[in-house]
Amino acid sequence: MNARYGMVIDIDRCIGCGSCMIACSAENNVPSLPQATPRTGLTPILVRHVSNGSDGTARREVFFPILCMHCEHDTPCVHVCPQQAVEVDKATGIVMQMPQRCLGCRYCMTACPYHARYFNWWDPAWPAGMEKSLNPGVAVRMRGMVEKCNLCHARLHSAKEKAAADGKREIDPRDYIPACVEACPTGAIQFGNLADREDPVSQSAQSPEAFRLLARLGTEPKIYYKSKEAWVRELAESKSSQPAGVSHG
Amino acid sequence: MKLTRRDLLAWTAGATAGALLTPVPWKILGDASIWTQNWPWIPQPARGPVEVQQSNCTLCPNGCGMRVRMAVGWAVGVSGSKNHPVTHGGLCPLGFAAHQLNWHPQRLRTVRHENAASSWSAAQTAFEKACSEGPVVFIDGYPERAASEVMQSFAKKHNGSYRVLPTPEVQALAAYETWSGVPAHSLGYDLENAQTIVSFGAPLLEGWGIPGRFTRLWAESAGVADPPVRLIQIEPSSSRTSARAWRWIKAPSDANGALAAGLARVLIEERLVAANGPLPATSLEETATRTGLSTDAIRDLAHTIAAKQPALVIANAQDPNIAALNVVLGAIGTHGGIIRRSKADKPYVRAGDLVGSARAVVIDASVPWAFVPETGAEVFRFAAWNDGFKKANWLLPAPGFLEELTDVPSAPTSAVETYAVATPLMKAPPEIQSLPQFLVGIDSELPPVGKLIEERCDELFRRHEGDLHTLAGKEATVAPVSFFDSVQKLKEQLWKGAVWTGALSHSNSLRCSLKEWPSSDAAQLAAEPSSRCGIPISPPLASKLHEESALFETPTGRQA
Repeated sequence: MNARYGMVIDIDRCIGCGSCMIACSAENNVPSLPQATPRTGLTPILVRHVSNGSDGTARREVFFPILCMHCEHDTPCVHVCPQQAVEVDKATGIVMQMPQRCLGCRYCMTACPYHARYFNWWDPAWPAGMEKSLNPGVAVRMRGMVEKCNLCHARLHSAKEKAAADGKREIDPRDYIPACVEACPTGAIQFGNLADREDPVSQSAQSPEAFRLLARLGTEPKIYYKSKEAWVRELAESKSSQPAGVSHG
Repeated sequence: MKLTRRDLLAWTAGATAGALLTPVPWKILGDASIWTQNWPWIPQPARGPVEVQQSNCTLCPNGCGMRVRMAVGWAVGVSGSKNHPVTHGGLCPLGFAAHQLNWHPQRLRTVRHENAASSWSAAQTAFEKACSEGPVVFIDGYPERAASEVMQSFAKKHNGSYRVLPTPEVQALAAYETWSGVPAHSLGYDLENAQTIVSFGAPLLEGWGIPGRFTRLWAESAGVADPPVRLIQIEPSSSRTSARAWRWIKAPSDANGALAAGLARVLIEERLVAANGPLPATSLEETATRTGLSTDAIRDLAHTIAAKQPALVIANAQDPNIAALNVVLGAIGTHGGIIRRSKADKPYVRAGDLVGSARAVVIDASVPWAFVPETGAEVFRFAAWNDGFKKANWLLPAPGFLEELTDVPSAPTSAVETYAVATPLMKAPPEIQSLPQFLVGIDSELPPVGKLIEERCDELFRRHEGDLHTLAGKEATVAPVSFFDSVQKLKEQLWKGAVWTGALSHSNSLRCSLKEWPSSDAAQLAAEPSSRCGIPISPPLASKLHEESALFETPTGRQA
């Protein structure tokens, strides 16, 4: 059976420490861009800071890690790509970005309702010698193309290779955990196979507290969020492009 | 046959259309797209098998357990070790890029003297001269290591002194040291057994204590209306901790001592706790005026704290009033309170701004750059990263991340004693020397760090106490030390990244006798210098948190 990899992010547990952002960049050989701004940076997972807009001790704040939602149906970025550089992998449900095909037209960035895609404005560069610390499993991408989260696809490859070496057809779920999930100090990000009803993540996605961002668009994102706080759940369906209290984080 | 212009155009159009039906243009386009991904100036990762090594972070005294992925002799990835008995997979955000620090542009690779290139022999000559002319003061930011023992031995032998720059967490425990005689560095917080945690401005979710310890505890009750562990944050402005606390009390930080006194008064007067201390002189009305809270709000807070015991109060800095509140709550030497972690009975002399009449000051690489002694003495500063010359006469290049053999003693806030070893996983650049190596080079009678670590392992084996947590692989194994039939096997596991833990002690060996409520002047002791635990320099990837997003404000001063 085909897998449908996805996440459930518990907003109540996220403390906005940024561990996921650093671990993601280190894993995927994303360079540091000190000349970048929050508009031009390269952050496949970006933690946004959101408040309920109240003041004083009534103020509530939460952090939303935003990454590619890996939309299952009518995936907007797939439809608009003139190069077929984006596709939904049938075996895993991961929305794949193929840098070799990307022309850098940025149609997909415009189409993405979650602003989870980033244009690579600069040549990737590291201080002298630091290339030795790059992850051998992930190729460095050129400037002039779009980047996004691919659920640490290199780790899936490694898990498949390991399973094949052990003579198994299926991977051990413990061998495939994206870097952000591994790094989260509060266990706010859970990762699993949404197609497997026995998977705790699949069950968590069905809980009444779970929700998806802009679910009304019908793109069936595979990144779920959950929170016990009603204002957080309401915010997820906000029809305004920049609701009050949201800061670009 | 005559070739016309029309024929030429028709042929060109036909050839173009025909070519599109062949794989040639598509192959060229595909290859071109690949070639344009591989310009010579684009860095290529090293190719080679990846293996995982278990180790322990040495960048700050928290000593987090980490899994280091190695390829071709270099670390290519770091993640937390889920099976670590204290850190449980937690790392500070910057720790995930710690493996890049050894190539940081600010890496110190050569000896520098007064901002000019120099040599180790010149530094040694200058240091020997200083030792012969007067006392030398050593300043250590990470005490209890074998390296610290070398410094202490040298200082003792050569009429010098050894001082420690405490972390704010240890500094906040100073009052208990005064009242109980037990050194602050041997005390810890039994967070796991507390049910109410009252934080006076301590950044519990932002980098207080051991990364992954409190955050894990907090996460278990996050979002629950009546959580098993209640976090009450007292802070003047919104922070990550106050935003995620069970209850946030907005009060000015300079009134923390007054609020602690007011709470103690309510707790004692209304018999909410067994009276364990003298009544503060501060009245409730006075507390209300200082804090801006109503007397009812203070009374309500005291009732809330007393409702769910054990309650533990944590201060962000040294404040005897806050410490005295813990005494009133009975949170000293008990379950869920401040406990004595180790049997150490000798407090360290703290490093202040003034180092007296020292001839030279030697600062270990574990001391953060922010610490600058006010002294006319010659300063020898060991550092792996260069953060400016104004702070030292001599800059001496020290080993970076996982480049030396060192040991990892208990973290400052830990409730249990721990011991681990970090082996050098990466090759250090030439011309790198640690402070103990430098001292052993001058006085060959001093024991080298490796020998001291072996002696400490022998001692653990002789004591036959505690457990060894072997972390390699997916499943952790825990075995009592008595299970090992030879010290060699114990050492072998420690060298592979295993962690020894002692037993959690509530043996009431910590008693604080508080005859009178501390005076408000005592709170001013908080001005002592301290070192916030943290990575010594930001890795370049910190730009993701500062420049490339607005998650954190850009730090002033040092930039990656």
